[in-house]
Amino acid sequence: MLEVKNLTKIYDDGTVALRNVSFEVVDGEFLIIIGLSGSGKSTLLRCINRLIEPTEGQIIWDGKDITAAEPAQLREIRRKIGMVFQQFNLVKRSTVLTNILAGRLGYVNPWYSLLGRFPAEDRKMAMQALEQVGIANQAHKRADDLSGGQQQRVGIARALMQQPRIILADEPVASLDPVLAHSILGDLEKLNKEQNISILCSLHYLDLVQRYATRVIGLRAGEIVYRGSRDDIRAMTDEEFKNIYGADAERVGSSIEGALGG
Amino acid sequence: MGENLTTSTKGPSKQSTSLVSPPVAGIASLILPGLGQALARQVQRGLILLGAMASIVGLFAWRVSLLATRETGFFAKLGKAISWRPLFVIPVLIGILALWLWSAWDAYQRAQPKRRGGIGVFALVIALFFILGWQVSEIDLFKFVTELSDAKGPLSRVLWPWEAAVERDVEVVSASAEILAPCDNEPPPAPPEEVPGEPYLVADPTCGDLATQDENLKEVPGTKLTLVGRGFTPNTTTEIWWIDPLRNEFRMRKEGEYITLQTDAEGTFQIDVTMPYRLIPPSSEGRIFHRIEARQTSEVGGFKPSSVLLRNIEKMVETIVLGMMATLFGIIFAVPVSFLAAKNLMSGSPLTMALYYITRTILNIIRSIEPMIWALLAVTIVGLGPFAGILALFVHSIAALGKLYSEAIESIDPGPIEAIQATGATRLQTIMYAVVPQMIPPFVSFSIYRWDINVRMSTVIGLVGGGGIGFLLIQYIRLLDYRSAGIAVWFIAITVAILDYVSAEIRERFV
Repeated sequence: MLEVKNLTKIYDDGTVALRNVSFEVVDGEFLIIIGLSGSGKSTLLRCINRLIEPTEGQIIWDGKDITAAEPAQLREIRRKIGMVFQQFNLVKRSTVLTNILAGRLGYVNPWYSLLGRFPAEDRKMAMQALEQVGIANQAHKRADDLSGGQQQRVGIARALMQQPRIILADEPVASLDPVLAHSILGDLEKLNKEQNISILCSLHYLDLVQRYATRVIGLRAGEIVYRGSRDDIRAMTDEEFKNIYGADAERVGSSIEGALGG
Repeated sequence: MGENLTTSTKGPSKQSTSLVSPPVAGIASLILPGLGQALARQVQRGLILLGAMASIVGLFAWRVSLLATRETGFFAKLGKAISWRPLFVIPVLIGILALWLWSAWDAYQRAQPKRRGGIGVFALVIALFFILGWQVSEIDLFKFVTELSDAKGPLSRVLWPWEAAVERDVEVVSASAEILAPCDNEPPPAPPEEVPGEPYLVADPTCGDLATQDENLKEVPGTKLTLVGRGFTPNTTTEIWWIDPLRNEFRMRKEGEYITLQTDAEGTFQIDVTMPYRLIPPSSEGRIFHRIEARQTSEVGGFKPSSVLLRNIEKMVETIVLGMMATLFGIIFAVPVSFLAAKNLMSGSPLTMALYYITRTILNIIRSIEPMIWALLAVTIVGLGPFAGILALFVHSIAALGKLYSEAIESIDPGPIEAIQATGATRLQTIMYAVVPQMIPPFVSFSIYRWDINVRMSTVIGLVGGGGIGFLLIQYIRLLDYRSAGIAVWFIAITVAILDYVSAEIRERFV
């Protein structure tokens, strides 16, 4: 279980990105964070594995305090937390296989890995991960030769290599078209259901939220303004909607994107 | 609306109010150029005019005093300078006067409520600087045109030097005879023994006096010798050489011209020569024997690369290797330095930031000193030769590459870095897996570009003793051997052109 307690992040320039945020992710949950761009979703996800240092508050994972972890401990914690990004964050010039093997860096001998060598079982595992996301035949291509959807699958496979207990997904489908969005989120859902990996995901599209979330929190200007279940989302009132997305936002169908375009 | 109007005109109107009336401003600028403008609240314009006026007058005074160094007194100097260089002195004098009056007029205009006057006065300033610049830099187009024809010889040899690129073997047929100077009581040396079929030279007499000068510095000619040669190659040009006891040899002259004779159909000749003027060191004791030699040289066999060409090729190879080694060492040292000079990697703590600034400053200082100057310094340590050149280019390459590399690091995509960090990787692993792969294309590109620059630089680094072909080039130029110098120039041009092409090709393929 991941517990976030009174998390606050103030950047050096004085911007308050998160203010007193508290919630928890129960094991096996698919928790989706919604909110406008700049509402603090990305900062929140990056505070959990401390890619961004929180200013105040605690993050407790299975009784361990991530916020107080020493560098070596932190690396051990991080390797159990997979992460998927909006821009995929692959090393474009490296091969797909190398990108995926990088997910093992927290496990392997650091000096050995500097030479680009990985144990045979890790290579086997990488091929399995590729098969799992359905791009096994692309292993030796350069990452930037793949399409957007395939690149995101490489990103997921890289996270899988960490044998994670939770995956943080920062708007994983925002750079993809709706059909691909469904298939990527479907992949995540499969991992969630079959391997019991918790998913903490930020999303834009409200229809996707309704389809995949087991629970939802809404962020606005760094504060949690909404908490609800999948069914609550279906029944979201206009008032709740405007509370999350601002008074000027309008619901177009069930898609938030349409509202944000204006 | 009214509010808007006041806010929009407030700024300028406040500035343009002159402190004094237009005529006062004009007179002020007449006393001190620029003062009127300053009083009209145009301080910058005033300062520029004052500075321009001061430097123009200063430059003018300097050049006039150079033109008339012997005269004393202002007017005497000016008069001399006018008569010496009227086309320079008179226009500048008129220009300074015009500028003075114009700046006063400009001040008058500027002090008007509605500020007037354009930038014409600055055009005059620029024109005056141009005339002074022409004089200071001693531009002389007349000289360029009239003396161009004198340079035709050397230039044509530089442009087409390939006659010096080949040579043929030389075969020498020669015979010599001993001459005693001066004659003494002992018998003079006997003529050499004649061997049938071999060239043979006999002088008569075999002793005599060298040419000297008497106490009135009048030349006293040496003893006349009759030379008879036999057994030489028939119908061939033959030279007469004098070899003194110190083994210095020089070709003999008659009435100022080199003696050149032709053997007859039997390979014989006869000629009268007078003994030359030679200074023999006073320390020499005993009998002093000179030699006189008849020499036929002829080119035989096919053409082969000349020694000049071979030397140029050797030095060209040395040059390319020099540039390559300097680049290689430069890369090896620049890579770690570039990490210290990359802001995004060093922004972690105040300590690393301090390191960043120190590295950047050192790199900037090293880079602002030209490789030629580094070469001069290196020569004082390791002496003349290619190693000095390598050191110079190496030092400069570290700084130049360090900066380029660090800028490449700064411009990398941070996405993969956070992705690799998120996997639990160590700092070193993150650099290896997220930073290095992104760095390779710019690193390769910059390194090849630097190699290109270094080989180009190494062609001239020899001018200051840093080895390579430049070393050879400057020697040939100083010896006025323009053909050999021309070969070096051609080699440099060809190498640089090829390298330019190759480096552009490689960079294009890699990135």
